[in-house]
Amino acid sequence: MTDYNYHEIDDVIHSRIRTAIMAVLISVEEAEFTFIREKINATDGNLSVHLKKLEEHNYISVRKEFVDRKPMTRYKITETGRKAFEEYIKKLESIIKK
Amino acid sequence: MESKQAELELSVIKTIMEDSRKIVCNNGWHYIFWGVVVSIALIANYVMALMSISQNSAGFMWFVTMISASVVSMIWGRRKEKQRTVKTFAGRLLGSLWFAGGISMFMFGFVGTISGAYDAIFICPIISTVLGVTYFASGEIQQLKWQKALSFGWWAGAIGLFFFPSVHTLLIFAIMLILFQTIPGIILNKRYKRELGVSGAVQA
Repeated sequence: MTDYNYHEIDDVIHSRIRTAIMAVLISVEEAEFTFIREKINATDGNLSVHLKKLEEHNYISVRKEFVDRKPMTRYKITETGRKAFEEYIKKLESIIKK
Repeated sequence: MESKQAELELSVIKTIMEDSRKIVCNNGWHYIFWGVVVSIALIANYVMALMSISQNSAGFMWFVTMISASVVSMIWGRRKEKQRTVKTFAGRLLGSLWFAGGISMFMFGFVGTISGAYDAIFICPIISTVLGVTYFASGEIQQLKWQKALSFGWWAGAIGLFFFPSVHTLLIFAIMLILFQTIPGIILNKRYKRELGVSGAVQA
């Protein structure tokens, strides 16, 4: 049994879909909503909820624009989000090592 | 969280990250466009040379063609850039590489010859050498071995054109452009369309 302290796990990232979103965004410069949705196999509504939560905690930033009259919503990981995700990965690695 | 659960989660994260990092958005359009434009200009220059039309006229033709093509390329490129659903570091690197290569080729083609640094006939092997560099680096960035292999074709062609300069250099270089640029561009475009999802990105 590990001496795992659940308080140390970032609740904002610790969700299957939000973890996947962060994994995508840390690997690219910027990604559009449809790209993220395809990459992680989420539905529009579900993905929107999780993206909103990440945005509220300033882990990702959002930019909306119209291209050829079609709305495009682009997401980018913030510096706060990058550090939080790196910290989250370190926590996972420390759990594995114990 | 149990160790196994953490391992599984880490494994998923790594898979997604590796998958996302390999994405390169290259539809080959620039390869096709520039391959066709420059080949046509080379053939036109070749005909002008055979008909003994002055080199100034050929120079003017090249200047107008390159400026016009650059403007079209920039406008189209910006439009396509806005439509992309993902921007990657590899994609940005690729764009910078070809931009720098383009500026270099422009300088060799115009500044080098106008300054009298070398005979205009050597523009083709010089540009062929530069293309070898950009193809090699592009192939590395996109992890495409066949594109890296093309660089050797460019370099081999450059060697031949350096040692055996003649009026036919223009025609030979036009053929090289079709073989090592236009056709690869078509292959890239087909690959891009074949693997294109809603994401508008293709895996390297």
